[in-house]
Amino acid sequence: MRKYILSIFVIFMMLSGQLYSGELNIYSHRQPFLINPFLNKFTEETGIKTNVVYATKGLAQRLKAEGKNSPADLILTVDIGRLYVYDDLDLLAEIKSNTLDQNIPSHLKSSDNKWFALSKRSRIIVVSDERIGAGEIFKIEDLADPKWKGKICSRPGSHVYNRALMASLILALGEERAEEWASNFVSNLARRPQGNDRAQVKAIYEGQCDIAIINNYYYGKLKYSEDPTQRKWASTVRLIFPNQGEGDRGAHINISGGGVAKHSKNKDLAISLLEFLSKESSQKMYGEINFEYPVNPMVETTDELKSWGSFRADNVNISDIAKITQTAQKIIDRTGW
Amino acid sequence: MSLNAIPYKLLTIKDIKLFRGDYFGILISIILFGPVISLFITALESNHGLWKHLTETVLGLYVANTLYLFIGVLILSAGLGISCAWFVTNFSFPGRKFLEWALILPLACPAYIIAYVYTDFLEYAGPVQGLIRGTLGFETAKDYYFPEIRSIGGAIFVMGFVLYPYVYILARTGFSNSPRSLFETASLYGENKFFRVGLPLCRPYIVAGLALVGMEVLSDFGTVEYFSIQTLTLGIFNVWIGMNSISAASQIALITFIFIVLLLFFEIKARSQQRFSETSKRFNGISHVKLRGPKSFAISLFCFIPLFLGFILPVIVLFSNVLLGLKGFDFLNIGMVLLNTIILALISTLIIIILASFSANISHFCSNKILLVFYNLSACGYAFPGTMLAVGVVVFMGFVDSFTGSIIFFSGSFMGIVFAYTVRFYAIPFGATVSGFSRIPRNLFDASSTLGHSQINTAFKITLPLIRSSVLAAAILTFVDIVKELPMTLILRPFNFETLSTYTYQFAHDELMIEASLPAFFIILCGLLPIFLVNEVMKGFFHGYKN
Repeated sequence: MRKYILSIFVIFMMLSGQLYSGELNIYSHRQPFLINPFLNKFTEETGIKTNVVYATKGLAQRLKAEGKNSPADLILTVDIGRLYVYDDLDLLAEIKSNTLDQNIPSHLKSSDNKWFALSKRSRIIVVSDERIGAGEIFKIEDLADPKWKGKICSRPGSHVYNRALMASLILALGEERAEEWASNFVSNLARRPQGNDRAQVKAIYEGQCDIAIINNYYYGKLKYSEDPTQRKWASTVRLIFPNQGEGDRGAHINISGGGVAKHSKNKDLAISLLEFLSKESSQKMYGEINFEYPVNPMVETTDELKSWGSFRADNVNISDIAKITQTAQKIIDRTGW
Repeated sequence: MSLNAIPYKLLTIKDIKLFRGDYFGILISIILFGPVISLFITALESNHGLWKHLTETVLGLYVANTLYLFIGVLILSAGLGISCAWFVTNFSFPGRKFLEWALILPLACPAYIIAYVYTDFLEYAGPVQGLIRGTLGFETAKDYYFPEIRSIGGAIFVMGFVLYPYVYILARTGFSNSPRSLFETASLYGENKFFRVGLPLCRPYIVAGLALVGMEVLSDFGTVEYFSIQTLTLGIFNVWIGMNSISAASQIALITFIFIVLLLFFEIKARSQQRFSETSKRFNGISHVKLRGPKSFAISLFCFIPLFLGFILPVIVLFSNVLLGLKGFDFLNIGMVLLNTIILALISTLIIIILASFSANISHFCSNKILLVFYNLSACGYAFPGTMLAVGVVVFMGFVDSFTGSIIFFSGSFMGIVFAYTVRFYAIPFGATVSGFSRIPRNLFDASSTLGHSQINTAFKITLPLIRSSVLAAAILTFVDIVKELPMTLILRPFNFETLSTYTYQFAHDELMIEASLPAFFIILCGLLPIFLVNEVMKGFFHGYKN
């Protein structure tokens, strides 16, 4: 009997946590097929091996519960809200890096150097090229106009991208007017909020509605999709970068970003990956692989993205948006977006 | 700890002999209950007065939608499962033999994947509406009415047709185990055999099947997220991520949990009645009533519909997507992932089965009511949405890891994920083995102990051979469930570790249906193989009573 117990214990030990010394362990909210090209290049250049766990939610709780023992070195996320959660739970290390300071503008990182934006995506308006004439819509605020009743499709308001947009409206208009906007916007909807951003473009193609809000890169993904029907959806819509008028605040942007885990045993390696992601060649890759805009002001936007039109981004401090997500969610709940 | 203290005290007072097994049983229960307690503790943290906001705004909607979905799926799966089981057990019609086992097949399909497939198939741009427009000459969506698949009705449809096999399997077992003499009596008196005998006798089985369906519905996230239906489970995530409040999210999860515990209570009740009705009954072989003419074809068609809509059609659509994406798949990688999935599911199933049969053995001989409740409670992990349970597991493992001074590190290990599966799926083999035990006449155990065999010896020599078929059936169901499992695997897995579910999800999450189709197809294949096996086992299980 004792022999059994001993052997079970040994098997247990073998199956339990492995050590990855000298390797970089990443908790990622970005899908592997999007992040792998970057990591492969990083390994090629530096010889440092990377290990990834991808999940959409729950990783912050895992990191928190693991505490000092956590094997994680680096967190990579999409959406500022998720980054902020890590900061809020005090899971990120304060880091010092001249390269990062140089490559990333101050409104796109935390004031205490705990997290950094690595790419930008703009939340833009798409309209049916055929049914909506030029010069009819200029701003996100215009979508609350009753003349668009039954013409708008939307992803559920509770999705992180819409919640961040809602937060940007609160910052721009104040809570009361932002809520008024949301409730008018909801009453303009052609159908119950559903589907992801891709599905909204599809709905315009199908004629269920004429207007939708999407993240800019979805347009690129559809335009260059391997599936010919998806390319057709993209060809029926036109992009509008909102709030570009003189003196207006610019289009709302969200970020993908990262931070070093507080209890990382390989902080230097983790910082070197963040630096790698902020340098010119990687910043270009964000555009090439996923149609995202560089955060590094020295790096030029790819030609493809330029061809969609140039735009001015809302330069509100991105962490201010993250701080009021709860207020934004409450408005979303109240208005039934 | 007070939980430890209770059994000792009660056992000495009542002078019940405490078997060595009881200590293990208690230990297993405490460990399995750990993640749930962790969730309770998480729920105790401040929630910044969110409940007021929730009750004023969305909570009513969440509850209403959840109930609507819950009742709808229960009615649909009960209707399909019971009627098919009745026809298959009592009548002979064309295709009966084939349908008898094939009706189980939808069990291999994860509901969320079927939801993706049906959306692709039935929405405006899909082939069905395309055909309607083509033949009838409509031009836009506004020219005709077509039901929206992304709706509560759509979710009821998808879940009902995927989950009915739970009811079907149990109802079939119930019908074939009912004493024939009662049916004969009913026909002598000219009473309706189905309503007067079959249904009342089979009720415990049906309730047990429906309880499983109900728990699946309440813990489902994939389907309701894809259809954007604001149920409690979806609400949990809106509160958690949107409000950045894990405590309020855990509180909602616990309320759903209480609801499910009530269901479990019904299931246990049903099982205890089952025990009563099955001992010392004489079972004659079942003779199928032969049907001829249009009536027999109508029944064939009726029983074929759930199989067609729950399995054949979605698999064909999925397979056509596989063919579309054939050039782009990374076969080597998917092959590795397939291997990963099978190894993980096999090891986990084995461990879960051993633990559950062990505890079931202990609980069968346990006469202490409090201990019994305790043993049954350890099976409650099934009642939580996977992601919330994963949070409980993460917190619990963090506690254990810091406690052991990180000599062994469970979090993010292969072992950790096996543990999580055990917490979640323990209920399936536990329930099955407990009911397997209830069929064994007590005097066999007494005889064994009179002959001087120890309890462990008895378990191997007497019990195991007798409950083999229920354990095997439970093992297969557990295996299929593990292969389908997504949210816990996603959060808890080790670095660079993919299962078919997680691999499918990274694409499906982005609505890249073609890229997702091959791994999704493999999930279904993985589930099919053991279902063929379960059917062989179940046949022995039903027909064993003939002799």
